[in-house]
Amino acid sequence: MMAKLEVFDPTTDPKEQPITYVARPDSLKGKRIGLVENTKHNSDRLLLKIGKILQDEYGGAEARIWRKHNSSVPAHQEILDELSASCDVMVAGIGD
Amino acid sequence: MLRSGLTSRRYTVEDALEAIELYFEKGWTDGLPVVPPTEERIRAMLEAVGLEPDHEITFITNRQTAVTAEKVAINAVMAGCKPESMPVVVAAIEAIGDPRWCYHGPGTSTGGAAVLMIVNGPIAPRLQMNSGDNLFGPGWRANATIGRAERLDMRNVIGTLPGRLDRSTLGHAGKFTYVIAENEGDSPWPPLHVERGFSPEQSAVTVMAAEAPHQFYNQLSNTAEGVLTTLCDDMRISGNARGQSQYVVVLAGEHMRIIAADGWSKADIRKFVFEHTHNSVAHLKRTHRVVGPIKPEDETTVRALVPSPEDILVVAAGGRAGAFSAYIPGWGGKRTSEAVTKLIRA
Repeated sequence: MMAKLEVFDPTTDPKEQPITYVARPDSLKGKRIGLVENTKHNSDRLLLKIGKILQDEYGGAEARIWRKHNSSVPAHQEILDELSASCDVMVAGIGD
Repeated sequence: MLRSGLTSRRYTVEDALEAIELYFEKGWTDGLPVVPPTEERIRAMLEAVGLEPDHEITFITNRQTAVTAEKVAINAVMAGCKPESMPVVVAAIEAIGDPRWCYHGPGTSTGGAAVLMIVNGPIAPRLQMNSGDNLFGPGWRANATIGRAERLDMRNVIGTLPGRLDRSTLGHAGKFTYVIAENEGDSPWPPLHVERGFSPEQSAVTVMAAEAPHQFYNQLSNTAEGVLTTLCDDMRISGNARGQSQYVVVLAGEHMRIIAADGWSKADIRKFVFEHTHNSVAHLKRTHRVVGPIKPEDETTVRALVPSPEDILVVAAGGRAGAFSAYIPGWGGKRTSEAVTKLIRA
């Protein structure tokens, strides 16, 4: 009888990482809106339009937009600090 | 000798052919058969680099994945690497885990980048790596298997599966393997790794997220300026609207000798290519790379292809005969992903 062969699994499972979301506000009325733009073409226009809808239709307060360094990296610390200091809600996204 | 044992899950099969089929069924290959990773072969890989199985070579933050020596060794066996190639694979994995390389971008982007590796130093001839004829083509074990091992790590360890996390629209054949060595023996210039801070006695791998090589032809000129003018005319329109982060220019035998005979250094080449690959904003608008009506000043307002001359990496490699050389666009816009050079510890 031929000897059997033992071979090994080449894959790795990513570590599980809990993500905690802050509670969503019941209403956007008077909430300061932060928009994070990812540098992709027209993403600023889309986000400003969303910001305007949140103001006009949902009573949001002022909407301000920030720009990431590029679309492949998380928002940098400076943006995160300013957002957490000056906004109540934020909108971000990615797409082509 | 390794102190600790292998911890990866084991599968028992009848023979090598059954193992090959198992790895196809599991989705663990690049579409080609793999060498079955047995304990003896995996251990030989680890011993070649003196790393314990649980040693973390890099950590890919956005995937929350530790790339361990054991997994890199398994995939290197599967790719067909010899143990003496393992130091190059390890250095390349360190490079793609470097934040400057920005794994998440080139790993997942629709832009379809592959991982170009340029090997310098004494390890290249020792591994019989190709730096000459048919530079980007098949036929050399080290070139073929080192790049393959790295791509298998991206797939199996980091989870960069085509159609899932790897959303390349087109991709290219360099995603199987994309490894070259610089022809240091014939080159009149300092090698790439020396320009990037290493000594000639050290070996290093420069890793860049890259599109496919674009060949250009100039058989008419016998001056540096003539050859490079043709290159620049081809290269100028190859960037995306915002320019590229970096380029590699690969100068093969005939062009290398013509340019060197005129006394041009790699710095001279970089400066000339940088200055002659600007596009006018008017041209970018006419060709629908930039939106908006063309204003008179757009004719004289120019955009550089790359941020600086240093973002053009010049490499002497390719066949001795033939009036061809190549340029390779990097992936992404300015400063999204940078070429990273790592020491090969061998």
